[in-house]
Amino acid sequence: MGIDKERPASSVRVNAGGFALPGTSRMNHTGSWRLERPLYVTSPSPCHGACPAHEEIPVYLDHLAMDRPRQAWEALVAANPLPAVTGRVCPHPCETACHRGSYDTAVSIHSAERFLGDMALREGWPYPGLDGDQREEAVAVVGAGPSGLSCAYHLRRVGYRVTLFEALPEAGGTCRIIPDYRLPAEILSREVERILATGIDFRPGQKLGREISLEELEEGFSAVFLAPGRQKNRIYSVDHALPGDLHHGLDLLWEWRNVGSLPRWDRAVVVGGGNTAVDLARTLLRTGSREVHVVTDEELPGLPSPTGRGAMPAIAREVAMALEEGVRIHTGRRIGRLILREERVIAVELLHALKEIEGQTPVHRAFSGTETILETDAVIPAVGQEVDPAGIERLLGNRTFLSLLPTGQVEGETRIFAGGDACPGGGIVSQAVGSGHHGARRIDALLRQKTLSPESPPSPIPFTSLNLAYFEERPAYVPRERHGEARTGFSEIETTGPADEIRTEADRCFSCGHCLECDNCWTLCPDGAVLRTAGIPGIPVPYVFDYDYCKGCGLCAQECPSGHIRMSPEP
Amino acid sequence: MTPIGSRPPSVDTTALRKVQPRFSGIESGHGACQGCGQALAARLVLEAAGPDVIVANATGCLEIFTTPWPQSAWTVPWIHSLFENAAAVAAGIEVALRAQGRTTRVLAFAGDGGTFDIGFQALSGMLERNHDVLFVCFDNEAYMNTGVQRSGSTPHGAWTNTSPAGRVRQGKRHFKKDLLAIIAAHGIPYAATASVAYPSDLRAKVRRALDVSGPSFLLLHSPCPLGWGHDSALTISVDRLAVETGLFPILEMERGHVVGSMKIRNPRPVHEYALPQFRFRHLLAETPEAREELEHLQALADANIERYGLLSDAPGPRDSGGADTVRRGGSRWG
Repeated sequence: MGIDKERPASSVRVNAGGFALPGTSRMNHTGSWRLERPLYVTSPSPCHGACPAHEEIPVYLDHLAMDRPRQAWEALVAANPLPAVTGRVCPHPCETACHRGSYDTAVSIHSAERFLGDMALREGWPYPGLDGDQREEAVAVVGAGPSGLSCAYHLRRVGYRVTLFEALPEAGGTCRIIPDYRLPAEILSREVERILATGIDFRPGQKLGREISLEELEEGFSAVFLAPGRQKNRIYSVDHALPGDLHHGLDLLWEWRNVGSLPRWDRAVVVGGGNTAVDLARTLLRTGSREVHVVTDEELPGLPSPTGRGAMPAIAREVAMALEEGVRIHTGRRIGRLILREERVIAVELLHALKEIEGQTPVHRAFSGTETILETDAVIPAVGQEVDPAGIERLLGNRTFLSLLPTGQVEGETRIFAGGDACPGGGIVSQAVGSGHHGARRIDALLRQKTLSPESPPSPIPFTSLNLAYFEERPAYVPRERHGEARTGFSEIETTGPADEIRTEADRCFSCGHCLECDNCWTLCPDGAVLRTAGIPGIPVPYVFDYDYCKGCGLCAQECPSGHIRMSPEP
Repeated sequence: MTPIGSRPPSVDTTALRKVQPRFSGIESGHGACQGCGQALAARLVLEAAGPDVIVANATGCLEIFTTPWPQSAWTVPWIHSLFENAAAVAAGIEVALRAQGRTTRVLAFAGDGGTFDIGFQALSGMLERNHDVLFVCFDNEAYMNTGVQRSGSTPHGAWTNTSPAGRVRQGKRHFKKDLLAIIAAHGIPYAATASVAYPSDLRAKVRRALDVSGPSFLLLHSPCPLGWGHDSALTISVDRLAVETGLFPILEMERGHVVGSMKIRNPRPVHEYALPQFRFRHLLAETPEAREELEHLQALADANIERYGLLSDAPGPRDSGGADTVRRGGSRWG
């Protein structure tokens, strides 16, 4: 019924009678107008950028918010096999970085992490993606702390045979001495056991430099990952004076874990500003010591520090709780002299002091003429540990830590990698987990003869890329904690939140740089050039752009709440 | 950073269009400008109205850009006759359908020129004769199709080619016609205003209008990037500010009485609305005349807020801060 108009370059049919057929405008490919094209681009979220274990936080929070906890946990353990542990003990730099913190209150990411970790233990979910031994090569991992466990786990995920050596009878490393009120021993044991059950050949009681040697490992394995931690107490003395019954802080924490009793002092002085000092001070108060003092030349953590003075490296929240519980913290003080009577300390002399941060190296200063006396029964140094050089003398040289190449190997080595506290920059569990994962990836690259480009830290999507018009202020989940009398024992202080509240909290996530599937782009395109694909098999993304018709107006990118759409110049 | 949006070559968009979970009354390939608020608004109205409709369209941008002869972007029956008679044509169709005992709904589409000015007489007659028609005015506040001339809807102080800004005048001297008050005087069952920045609210109003029998009227604010002089990406953002400043109140009327309004959660000053738009930019000049006119515009916004009680007492899901809150998985749009 149509007639061809005389337009040779076109196959347009003109209908006699003054009407047009429906939807025929699609002959016009208006996409040719476009100068810029929109792209769906997944960018790193600030929480991911800040997470030392490189968790894809928006991904698992999205699953959790959509009531898919198992998928959430599987996305979480793709990076971190110890979520019930890190959900409890990590100082969560992710929450400090969270863009929601610049809007109302940061998402309580650690609450979601521990919730998922606990749920997986309760439900007995197995780790996903473990398909046995696809790889011929065997890898040795030394040290079954969080770094070694993480490395072994991630090597198992890509199918390597892994032998894990540990000097102590049990795996867990320094996590074992974290007090039960922060991390119940049972939680740690269950997550550790689940990792060991992934087919790792676990050899406890095997210490490097004692039962095994580096040379044997190099001989018997394709690659070696060293995660020995820091086991040697830093030498402590004040002008070479030492009490006869000196206990080191870390040793006392081990004693509490292994023996279950500690001396009871009327007044104990713990020296140091780190987590060991704070954990020990709080443990001593719980085990019958009457007064516990902490002496450090640093400031309290978490304060604005215009003076450039160093803050205690202990987790700010733990320090605050220690103060609540009655630990007396003397900041800006140093012990100038131990006052001994027949090898027993009866008092210490305190001086005003400070630690200044000048460039990389801290400078410690003390000021004479400011001395005061603090009577005490015990002085307990908790001034840090060093790498035990036994068995790795060749690698350490005259250094006190293992220095790494950008490709993950120990300097001067090709098949020996390292991670955890034995390397610079360690200190928190999630960093150890991250370094183990990193080591596993580097080992895999070496053994597959793949070249991995040096990893640059992800640059997170800026706050200004979000469209805040699409979000509303919502009250944040506040973790429940024990207070007052309820906090004098070793029961856990913080509790795991209820499912509905944690799911609601996960839904507060802005999903920075990730797709929320909110339908904005699909709904708001004036040209109908965004098509929804969710649920259609074979298309992995929820929407596609139809570039035949997209005119490049940029509206979708502007109205994307989470900054997941970017405009890019037309090629 | 992984670009994943480039269309996978395997995706057959023609097949995909057939399985989209929403009805599309206007197909792609139309000739609207980049970021056209009206193209979006018309698509949203038809999504809510569904396929069983007939559209009578007045002369204007929508008519032009959807029907590049011999093609049509419409997937519903559509007719254009003249600039001034969309309401009359719709009325005739409605009567004919009624005579045939058919339930197909009739929509009349017009711009602000075809509603406030040229088509006003036909509209008033259609309302007075109680035709069962939903009349939708896509209000972009000037004659855009012919090159940005002022209309009865152009707001006070806005530049157009026939209301220039200079030393003597700061844009349009007169005020935007209070069309809703005139519509109210007809006592029709349902009338409302809406904005493309709030699609959920817009859809609910289209459905409500079609639920009543008798005439209904929807004044739908839809920015024109070309005529307003803003970036094509800012269509929604600018219109959200039109609502949040109080310059375009979002209202619902039954039988001429205001029965509901979208409260403003965080009122914005009018200079924020003026800033991205060329048509208001002269009001931001450092001259006493510009300052006075900007204050005048602010006073007009404040008067709207006062007249309709637009300030929110407490945040709510239907106020200007809650009505567009996103939900994971798109459940917000309903």
